[in-house]
Order: sequence, then structure tokens, then C-alpha cells
Amino acid sequence: MKNKLTSKSVILFLLICFFPLFTYGIDYIYRLLSSQGIYLPIPSGDTMLRTVIDVCLYILLAVGINIVCGFTGQLDLGYVAFYLVGGYTAGLLMTRLGISYWIALPVAVLNGALWGLIRGVPTLRLTGDYFAIVTFGFAELLFRVVKVEDWLIGDIDGMINDIPPPKIFGIELYQLWHYYYQIFILLAIVVFVTYRLLHSRVGRAWVAIREDEQAAESMGINVSRYKLLAFTVSAAIGALGGAFLGPFRAGISAGTFEFWESILIICMVVLGGLGSIKGAIIGGAVLASLGEILRWVLPGQLGDARYLIFGIILILLMRYRPDGLILKKA
Amino acid sequence: MAQFLEQIINGLVLGGIYALIAVGYTMVYGIIQLINFAHGEIFMFGAYFAFTLVTFLNVPFWIALPMSMILCAVMGILIDVIAYRPLRNASRLSALITAIGMSLGLQNLAQLIWKADQRTIKSELLPTFFLSENAISLPSGAALPYRDLFIILLALVLMIALNRLIHLTKIGKAMRACAQNKVAANLMGIKTNHVIAVTFAIGSALGAVAGVMVGLREVIEPMMGYYKGVAAFAAAVLGGIGNITGAMLGGILIGLAEALGAGYINSSYRIAIAYIIMIVVILIRPSGLLGKSTSNRA
Repeated sequence: MKNKLTSKSVILFLLICFFPLFTYGIDYIYRLLSSQGIYLPIPSGDTMLRTVIDVCLYILLAVGINIVCGFTGQLDLGYVAFYLVGGYTAGLLMTRLGISYWIALPVAVLNGALWGLIRGVPTLRLTGDYFAIVTFGFAELLFRVVKVEDWLIGDIDGMINDIPPPKIFGIELYQLWHYYYQIFILLAIVVFVTYRLLHSRVGRAWVAIREDEQAAESMGINVSRYKLLAFTVSAAIGALGGAFLGPFRAGISAGTFEFWESILIICMVVLGGLGSIKGAIIGGAVLASLGEILRWVLPGQLGDARYLIFGIILILLMRYRPDGLILKKA
Repeated sequence: MAQFLEQIINGLVLGGIYALIAVGYTMVYGIIQLINFAHGEIFMFGAYFAFTLVTFLNVPFWIALPMSMILCAVMGILIDVIAYRPLRNASRLSALITAIGMSLGLQNLAQLIWKADQRTIKSELLPTFFLSENAISLPSGAALPYRDLFIILLALVLMIALNRLIHLTKIGKAMRACAQNKVAANLMGIKTNHVIAVTFAIGSALGAVAGVMVGLREVIEPMMGYYKGVAAFAAAVLGGIGNITGAMLGGILIGLAEALGAGYINSSYRIAIAYIIMIVVILIRPSGLLGKSTSNRA
């Protein structure tokens, strides 16, 4: 791991650190100009910050799904299931039992990992299309359950309202910039962990399984164990994203966890190039912000057409650049 | 008893519809080993085509039905030529992702064209024969609307016709040859791309019929291709993917299971029943009821 502290990375780091200040600056200028009667056609600083947090969350999920889709080479069509498990575990623990966020978060991650294991054991033998179909069905079943079972969640359509913000020493961290730094730290940890995993014995085993499962097995790699590990880690990351989502949006509902969300996340990884962490980050950043920008730019109902554009992107990518926009594979 | 009979009728109607869609999935899978996710969307477009023709262009229903079939067949061929044909030799994952992208794109295209509202074909514009009041009363007090009878019979007729087509005609023989071995079929002088296009056309036309059938009974919405498409896919898996008779059988079984499950357990779970059957079949017997047992088909 050659990590030189170049001026570029320092500037990037500073930019990330001071981004909230920048958005407040924009708000200030906006207020100043609007008091003079000039209205700029730009989104407010709050909207920008919120968008950046959403984008970071998607990047987190993209890095997570990349472990199964990219490293072990299996198409996971139900990643949203773990996002859902994380969101509801943390949400229910915090609203029903009043447990602190800092305990609910790791519990949600562990629960996500457990569900990854539950789904992973029966699907170990499956490959290709059948794996994709089972993961899809699994996610849809979980989605149905939270949507339909009112007694479990406590409200219709799986709504949990008023999830409290996290607290440190009695101070509520409810401001947008709190969430910004929080997701940033979480994302950094996740990227670091996946990076270290990929460049270790485990990661090499995963890539070997992707390239040729039988050859990997004959080289002494315990295929089932490493696959299960990949499923578990990937699921845990998804659950982490879900646990963060609850307090940030101050509530969750089943609609957040529809099937198309999984496809969107896959689209990000494919765009960046399956199997590369950098690709997942860039793909996530590009596509998530593209979605938000399209929502601002396209008027009214046309805003929903962004999924049409995602579909076209997927088709064109597979046709012309099946390895993603970043060509180098991990 | 009356309720039971009505659920059975419902199940048979649903089953006929699922069977018609499932055949499209299974034929394409049999030949190019691709789960054509966009097939559910073709079915949805079939319903919308008929709706548009009947409602806005005042085309009589009996002409709108074949027109919708033709439009969908063309659409199916176009999808194959534009999206799938260039990827014939690419990895399976690429083709699968393309199919998903196609499905996503078409679904949202429909939402753009026809808006997300639920639509129904106005009953004044349909032959009076389809009104739900016109029904045969069965002995125990249940009613069998002519509409439902028509759907069941039409599905049956189309299935038999398809079966004969596959087994008795030249193009059917070519399709079976391609399903067994594309390269060998090509060497024997069969134009494989041509056969695949015909497969897409037939599957899509049958999907369009199913779409029109749904349009007669239920609302038409952009998401219908997704819900019904997945259930039909479950039917194809249950029957043994790649097996056409299996798809018919699977369709009817899933339809009955859904109707009875919705009637007696909880109607919110009617879609979930298809998912559960699909997952259980894949985990326990991936080759389905009638498929050959190849344990690791991927």
C-alpha cells in the first residue's frame, strides 16, 4: 500500500472537512442577495449538504454491495434487504426501547451480518441467475413483511417516526453538519476495512473464487467459508447504512427499501467497474448526485424519469464498457 | 362453497395469464439462457397498447387485441436486436444487468407516456359480452363471468397452438434445435439470430394477450409488469425453466396458490406467495417440476 501524502490528497481532505462551512457561506450569500432582490437559481446550502450526505450514504452502500457483486462475482439483487434490516433494527431499538444510538448502531450492524449469514447459507451452492433470483425474492419478502405487518413495526407502511438524533454527553447531534461528519467517518472506516480486506489473504481468496471457483477450491481455499464471509461483511455494511438513515431522515418507511433501490446501487458499482473500491466510490458519487441533479433540473413528474436514464446508462455501459468506466480491475 | 369455487375460478384465470407470460420467459431462457427481465414490461405495454387503442383511437376490441400483439412482437424483436444481440458472447452477468436496465427503462418510459395513474378500459367500449354481470351461475351460487371463461379458454387455445407450433412446424423444430445446441444448429444451416428473434416475437405476443386479459379485469398501471412479471417468472421456475409445458403447469399452480392464499390467508401477501414458492423451488429442486435435473444450472 503506497500512500503518499500528496498535495492533491491534502486539498481533497481539507475540502471535505470544510464543506459544511462552504454551504453555510452559500446560504449567507444567498440571503444577502435576496435581501437586495436578487434570487440565484441555485439550491440552498442545506439542500446541498443534505444531498452530499445522501450521496455519501449511497457510496457506502455501493462499497458494501461491491464485496459480493464485485469481489466474489455474484449478482446480488436484494442488497436493500440489509439496508432495511439495519434501518429497522436501529429504528425500533431507539424508538421502542429508548436505547442510545451508539448501542443501536452496532447492534444493527450485527443483526445485518446475521441476516447476511441467514441468506448466505442456503444460497451458497447457487450461482449466476439463480443466486440473483433468490436474493431478489428474499429482499422482496422482507419488504412485504415490514410493509404489511403493522403490529411488528407499529404503524402502517412500515413507518417509524421521530427517530431521535444521536447524543454525545447529552448534546443532541441533530444538525446537518453533524450527520455530514458522522457519515464521513463511517464511510472512511468502511472504505479502510474493505480496502484492507481486499488486499489481504481474504480478498485474494474472494477474487480467486470470482475468477474460477473450482480452481480456487483445488488451491485449498475454503470456498464456502470465504463466500459466507463476503456475504456477512457486505450485509453488515448495508445494515450500517440503514442504521444511519433512520436518525438522519428522522424516520423511515417501507417505501425507502423498494427493489429499485438495489438496482440503483448495482448500477453505481457497474458504472465504476465491478470489483474496484475506487470504482464503487466514483460510481456511487456520480450516479447519486446525477439523480439529485436530474431531480432539480427536470420539471415535476419528469423528475421520476431519472430511472429511465439509469436504465439507459446500464444498457449502454454493458454494451460498450462492460468493465465500467474505470478500466483497471482490482 | 361458493367462495371456494369463485377463488378457484379466479385462480384459473390468474393461472392462464401467468402461464401466457411464463411461456415468454421460459422460451427465451431455453434458447439464450437469459432471464429476460424486460418481459414483464412487454406484458405491461401490451395492456397499455390495447388501452390506448380502445380508449383514445376508438378501435374495436377485437382489432385492438391483435394489434397490441403485433406491436408487442415488434417491441420484443427490437429489444433483442438493440440490447441482447450485441451481448450474445459477453458474460452472463452483463446480459442479466442489461435485461434489468431494459426493464427499469421501459417501466419508467411507460410512466412518462401514460403517467403513473391507474387506468381501466371503460366497459362501454368493450363488447357487452365482457361485462361482469354477464355470467353463468354455477350450482352452488357462484358466478362464472363470460369474461373469465373467455380468458381461460383463450389461454388454453393459445397454449395448445404454441405446443403444436413447437412440435409440428419447421420454425418450432429450429427453436428446439437452438435450445439444444446453438452452435450445432448454426452449422446445420439454421439462422440462429432469426430463430431467436422469432422466439422473442412469439413470447412477446403471448405476453401482450396476457396484458390485455389483465386489462379486462383489473387496473392497468406501470408497476403491473413488475408484480405480475415476477409471479410469472416464479411460474416458469416452478415448472422448470426452459420447459414450455412446465411453464403452463407452473402458471396455473401459482395462479391457484395466489388466489386461494389471498382468499384464505391474507390478501396483502398474494405476491409474497409467488416469491416463497420461487425461493423454495430454487433451493430444493432448481430444475423445477418438469425440468431435467441439472443440479447447477447457471
